[in-house]
Formats: sequence, C-alpha cells, structure tokens
Amino acid sequence: MTDEVYSDLMREFKEGKYVFTGELEPEKAGNVNEPIEMAKELLGLVVACNVTDNPQSFAYVSSLAASYKIQKETGMECVYQLRCSDRNRMALLSDVLGAGTLGLKNILALAGDHVSLGDTPDAKPVFDLDSTTLIHMIRKMVDEGKDLGGNDIEDPPKLHVGGAAAPGAAHLKAEVGKVKKKINVGVEYLQTQVVYYTDVLDKFFNELGETDVPILVGIFPARTFGQADFFDKYVAGVDVPPDYLESMRATKQIKDKEKKKEEVDRVNIEFFTGFLEHLKGTPAAGCHMMAVGYPRIIPPLKKIME
Amino acid sequence: MIAQEQKPMEEILGYLEGKQKVVVMGCGGCATFYGTGDKKAVNEMAEKLTKEGKEVTKIVMPLGMQACETEKCSIFLQKKRSAVENCDAIMVMSCGDGVQVVTEYTDEEMGLAKEVYPVNDPLGLVGGGPKKFKETCQSCGMCELGKTAGVCPLTACGKGLMNGPCGGVREGDKCEIDPDKDCAWVKIYKRMEKLGKLDAFEQMNDPHEWSKMKRPRLFELEKPMGMMDMMGAMMNLNTISGYMSMMFAKPPAEEEEAKKE
Repeated sequence: MTDEVYSDLMREFKEGKYVFTGELEPEKAGNVNEPIEMAKELLGLVVACNVTDNPQSFAYVSSLAASYKIQKETGMECVYQLRCSDRNRMALLSDVLGAGTLGLKNILALAGDHVSLGDTPDAKPVFDLDSTTLIHMIRKMVDEGKDLGGNDIEDPPKLHVGGAAAPGAAHLKAEVGKVKKKINVGVEYLQTQVVYYTDVLDKFFNELGETDVPILVGIFPARTFGQADFFDKYVAGVDVPPDYLESMRATKQIKDKEKKKEEVDRVNIEFFTGFLEHLKGTPAAGCHMMAVGYPRIIPPLKKIME
Repeated sequence: MIAQEQKPMEEILGYLEGKQKVVVMGCGGCATFYGTGDKKAVNEMAEKLTKEGKEVTKIVMPLGMQACETEKCSIFLQKKRSAVENCDAIMVMSCGDGVQVVTEYTDEEMGLAKEVYPVNDPLGLVGGGPKKFKETCQSCGMCELGKTAGVCPLTACGKGLMNGPCGGVREGDKCEIDPDKDCAWVKIYKRMEKLGKLDAFEQMNDPHEWSKMKRPRLFELEKPMGMMDMMGAMMNLNTISGYMSMMFAKPPAEEEEAKKE
C-alpha cells in the first residue's frame, strides 16, 4: 500500500487537520453551470467537494464529466463519486482510468441506490462489483498498476479512494462488518451517510472500534423544508428528527424571503450546534457538509468546530 | 421449480387477433404445480377462447410430461398433428422453455412454421411452498453458497451484492427496495454468527465470475435418463411413502397443539 499523497483532501487527513468537505449535485441538464457557481462559493470553505453520481438513482450529468469540468473551471478539488449500480467492472475500470487521465485525485466508491428507486425504474441494475470490490479494484490499479484480471496498466492513475458507511443502518453489526471489509481492502478514508442523532454516531464509533482510517461524518443542513422532508421520506438509512423537521416546516409560512432565509439559518445553527459540539468529542476526522445549494450555512457551522 | 403466473387475458387475446383456429397446450411439469398448465387450466383457457369465438384444440400433458422436454412434448404434438398443422396459433401454458421447445420442434422437426405464443410469465426458480415460494437461485453457473452461509446474495439481495448489506437496510432488517423482503446480508450475518464464522464476514468475497454464465448455456448429459428409468424413479416405494406422509401427517402447528393437549 502506498503512502503517496495525491490530493489536498488526503494531505489534510495526513496533516491531522480537521477536514471539511462539501457536495455538488449535477442535474438533468446539458451543462454544469449551477454546480460550477456553487463550487466558486465553496472555495476556501471546504478542501474538496463530492460530485454526486446519479443520486437516489435519478439520471443526471455524468459525475466524471462534471467533476472534471468543475475542477478545471473553479480550482475546487473534486471527489468523483462512482457507483456500481450503472456500470459493470469494465466500465468502472474505464471510468477510473478516465478519472486519472482527467486529473481527478479522489474517488468515493459506492454501491449506489437501486435503479428502481429513481426516475428510470425500468433500467437493468448492474452491481457487477460492490463497494468493497470496487475499492479493491481501485487500490490494485493505483498501487500495483494492475486491473482485476492482473493485466498491466501503463501509467496507472494517481488518486485516492474513499468508501461510505451508514451509522443509521437498521442492523449496525452487519453494517460495521461491511465497513471492516472496506478497511481490510485498503479504503483510504470513510464518509458516513448523513447522521442527525448523536447516539447513532456514538454507537457506530463504538461498534467500529479503533481504526487508522480517517472518518468524515456526514451532516445535512437543509436549505428548505422540502429538502429535509425528502431526506426523511426517501433517503435510505436516514431518519430526520421530528423536532428539526417541524422547525423547518414552520419556516414555510414566512413570506419575506430575507426573513425566511434568516430563520432557516437560525434553525440549522440551533440544531447543529449541539450535534457539532458533540462531534468534537468523537474520533471523527472531519465533517462532510452535504449542504447542496446552501453554501452560506458553512461558515457559521465551521465556527462551531473551532 | 419455475414459478409462473398466467398473463392478463387482454395480452393473450392480443396475440390471437384475427386468428381462428387455436391449439392450447398445457405442461405436466412446473406449470401443473402452479395451476398454470394443468388439465383444469387448459380447460378453462379453452373455454374462454371458445367464448371469444375461437376454434380450440386442447393438448393436455399429464403430470410428469413436461412441455420443455422434446421427447415428451413431441408425443403429444404428433398425436394432434392435424390440428397443429391447420391451426393459426399455438398457445403454450408453460414457462419460456416449454414455449421454445414447442416452437423448435414444430418448426424444425414437424416442418410447420407456426405462430407459438406464451400464455404464462415465468417468475424464477423458487423454493418453499406449499403456498408461499421465493426465488433463491438464479442458476448462475458458479454457486457461491459455500462462502455465504447458505444464503445466495446474488439472488436474495435486491442488488446482488457480494460483500455485505448496502447502507439502506430498513427497520426490521428489511430491504431498501422492498420493505416486504428481508435483507439477505443481515440473514447471512446472523447465520455466520450462529455458525461462529463472523471472521469470514469481514473478509472480501471476490467479484462473482459471470463468465460461467455465457448465454445461451448448452448442457449435455452423457447418459440421458430413459423413460423406463424415469418411471422407476417416480414409482418407487419411497416416493409413495413420501406422498402418503404429506397426505396424512399433521401440519407442524397442529402437531405442537396436539403435544400441548
């Protein structure tokens, strides 16, 4: 296993800095103008941004194309999300080589939601590899310069691979068993699914035990009630606390746009202050702020962590 | 067995639009067990099509006479050769294997280019019963059950993952895709826990070798089972005692009650 550092994200982990990352979501469009604008706003606030790959199985702009364009045009380091739902092992390998060719430095390897949950439910789900075998494949490509079949790769890609963990999974022991598999095959960092409850997080860290692999804890400060409600209803493995959801619902009644924004920010800061204060006492190496389209919330939340 | 259910009548009638003479052929294999190709099902289908003004010839295949086996299927098709020759369509009440054996045999052996249509939708290789069944095997050509505590994740996991549950396991250890289904990987975890093999749970399983499933797969038996061997296998004492036990044994729940009394 190599100790090389290829990305700013990995450099911050190695230097022991408290790491903040953000998230950008390409949409069903022939451009990535909006995520590019968002990336510009996030520059300096986070070290890198995830670029989502067909989240919740809604088919959007390729995350490879989006990651490349966003990184090139804004200078924001991208974490290219790559899921197994839509590609067999050949396509995954090609895309990883493509990511290396395009200068991307981080991949988040995901199994991905089932296609039946999204907007193209009649598609054939692939899942030729799973998240563990994808991580294994990427490490083999980067470290050994070989593909899964042992064939040589000329000028292997130089990038890091992260994996996901779901602290809120209904069966935590099985989830942690899977996370340990990812650690065993060389995952370089972990990023958790969104967590709202501190006890869920504590149970996860306790079950996992000590590990050298840095862990980013996912939080989701919602910009609107609709976003929070969508997460609660449709995102697998995430429960949004009812009191937070109610406070967000109440902001819908405010007609004045500026006042509404202020109130949404107040609700988020109030809720996440307790959570982030608690986070300081956990083994987390940082925080993944999944605040899509909501960059203004990041500075006050980061301040809590200072 | 291959589970199956009958297609909606509109679809079946759609195939028969403008056609008059129809052969309805059953199957004495899986379709008989699922009531989609037995004598009763053939009679009911014939009745419905007659009401629609079709001239129907029935081919009933008794239990043990499967439409998917050319040797057996051919006997019944040859018996009704003139109806088959003169029909506008053959409706086969079996899985897709049976439909295709009928297509191939009528075309290549009988020299009749006939329109052959499926009456049923096949739903997979299933186990369980007598009432509830579930798909447990997809005949992938490379059985992984030895690595996964006897539960096939390729089939029982909605995503076919080989290395643990996805992040979407629901309350009650249910599947992200369908809350009525159990998470296969939680089941595997619990089995490994009982067997004292949890260390294996944390080790990576290699990606499945799909090269073992190059379609269409061809298969050849060195010594095919003859009709007499088959009859011998079916008519032995153990078969008879097995069926007798099924007929007269009390269901487990009743047995428990009887013990309590």
